[in-house]
Amino acid sequence: MADAPRPTASPGFMYAASRVFELSIGEMLWSRRTVFMGLVVGFPVLAAIVLRLLSSLGVAPITINNHGVDGPVIFGLMIWIFFVRISVPVLGVFYGTSLIADEVEDKTITYLFSRPIPRGAVLVGKYLAYLACTVFVILPAVVIVWLLMIPMGGSLGASFIDLTKDLAVLALGLAVYGAVFALAGAALKRPLLSGLVFVLGWEQIAMILPGYLRQLTVAHYLQGLVPHAMPSNTPLSLIQGVFREVPTLAESLISLGLIMAVSLWLAARTVTRKEYVLEQ
Amino acid sequence: MTRGIRYFLTGSALVVFLGLGTGLIAYYNGGLPIGPRAANGDLTFVPADATAVAFADVRAIMASDFRQKLRQVLPTGEELTKFRDELGVDIERDIDTVTAAYLGGQSAPESGVVIVRGRFNTAQIETLATQHGAVAEDYKGMRLLSMATGDTTSTETHHAVATVAFLNAGSLALGEASAVKKAIDANASGDDVRKNAEMMNLINDVTSTGNAWVVGRFDAMTNQAGLPAEIVSHLPPVNLFAASVHVNGGLNGMVRAEARDDKAAEQLRDVVRGALAAGKLMTGQNPKMDAMLNSLQITGTGKTVGLTFALPSELLELLNGVAAAHQLGTGTTIHK
Repeated sequence: MADAPRPTASPGFMYAASRVFELSIGEMLWSRRTVFMGLVVGFPVLAAIVLRLLSSLGVAPITINNHGVDGPVIFGLMIWIFFVRISVPVLGVFYGTSLIADEVEDKTITYLFSRPIPRGAVLVGKYLAYLACTVFVILPAVVIVWLLMIPMGGSLGASFIDLTKDLAVLALGLAVYGAVFALAGAALKRPLLSGLVFVLGWEQIAMILPGYLRQLTVAHYLQGLVPHAMPSNTPLSLIQGVFREVPTLAESLISLGLIMAVSLWLAARTVTRKEYVLEQ
Repeated sequence: MTRGIRYFLTGSALVVFLGLGTGLIAYYNGGLPIGPRAANGDLTFVPADATAVAFADVRAIMASDFRQKLRQVLPTGEELTKFRDELGVDIERDIDTVTAAYLGGQSAPESGVVIVRGRFNTAQIETLATQHGAVAEDYKGMRLLSMATGDTTSTETHHAVATVAFLNAGSLALGEASAVKKAIDANASGDDVRKNAEMMNLINDVTSTGNAWVVGRFDAMTNQAGLPAEIVSHLPPVNLFAASVHVNGGLNGMVRAEARDDKAAEQLRDVVRGALAAGKLMTGQNPKMDAMLNSLQITGTGKTVGLTFALPSELLELLNGVAAAHQLGTGTTIHK
């Protein structure tokens, strides 16, 4: 009598997550969201090229109180305005909330959940794909902006350490915001709206209020790590600057690490336990 | 993973690594040849144990719009003309850079050395110095002109020996004989400030930020200055400090201090914030002063406390106006 085929063991969590990662990164990179990401990240690069051209023509690209501003200062402003305040939270919202919500909306989540893999691995794999997708777009853009802007009155060597800090801060920001909004995407019905309210509403208000409310934001810890002077280009920024309390390096890193780990764990737990009802 | 995705990821990683590689090379070479005149050559004459080092790109500062505006405010001294006629040195045109080092010690004249780079008529300087009683000697292959000067303190009369050393073509060292000889020794032995990693980190940080800068160990300076304990106890707990200004149309600058710990840094930030708030209250509705105070930004995290500032050229014009009014009141003329 022939032996009956032995049932294959279900793959481990990390193997399953890596398979989902491979599957998802292609979908994410060649999606409509990538066009949006290209615009968000391409604008600072374009701005840097224009500023550099103006500088090479002998025109001071940015003047404050009638004197030209050096490249390193402009680079610091660009890191704050374009990347820390816009690109990182906005990409975190758009990609993070869509990790599970898109599958539910497209009614394809059934196919993923019917596979013999832990449901949490689906979320973790998709989260890693988001991280790779955004980090591999944002960081090269920052490096290009740095190479274009710093030689305008600055030294690449002197600003190198700050560049490495910038890259680390942006990667950390993408990881934390992504984890927070992955949780929102897994738990909430309209995660994109909630995410935008969090980033553009709650974080902005909490950061200008005196007291401890700002400790309930990601921006408070992330902005404390940025090595450049905070710009005061808008009334909101000015007020933020006045009430700004910079957490220590250890406080920022521990808080961001905790927010990321707890959010990701809760998101994986939610995906595992929640019954997703697909609308007909 | 498809080939397209692999190409994309590889390309992105390549851009990041190329940028980081360029930065790393520039970092270890003290910056790519971009930016203002560097002090690297003169740093070989700064002993490794220097407590503070300062540098000024005099030529850039003299050529700046700021300097031109300042000339309208400040009178041109006869001493400058005399200096040019007797020594053949026009400070505005013949001096490129000045590097100064504070070497520590109780007596001020013996504790500093200044290295001036520019174009000098060495024969004219030596003739004039010997006419005034200077003694010429050679020290490790370099020409020294020394002259005793009386320095009377409250307790004793100390005879310092003011010395000028011709270091190499286009470089002079000025200071007390022992300090100048120490600078020459540092250069000869190679035991100069470039071997002091702590100091060089500070110098590398500030060289690109302005055409004049100063860095140093604050705690060592206060210890060596022999200040009374009451004053020392009220000084901020700062280990290292760095300051730089970029002189162009106006003045842009930054001051940075490394506090002993995070708590001390936070206290220092509070003091600076308080001072800024008091300044804003006192300036009232003056828009120019307000603009200057608004340009002050507190920066830094952890143990680092920084303050950046910008002095707009309009403020100089304001000062110019005040000076003109003062000159009119006293019946003297103002330079234009």
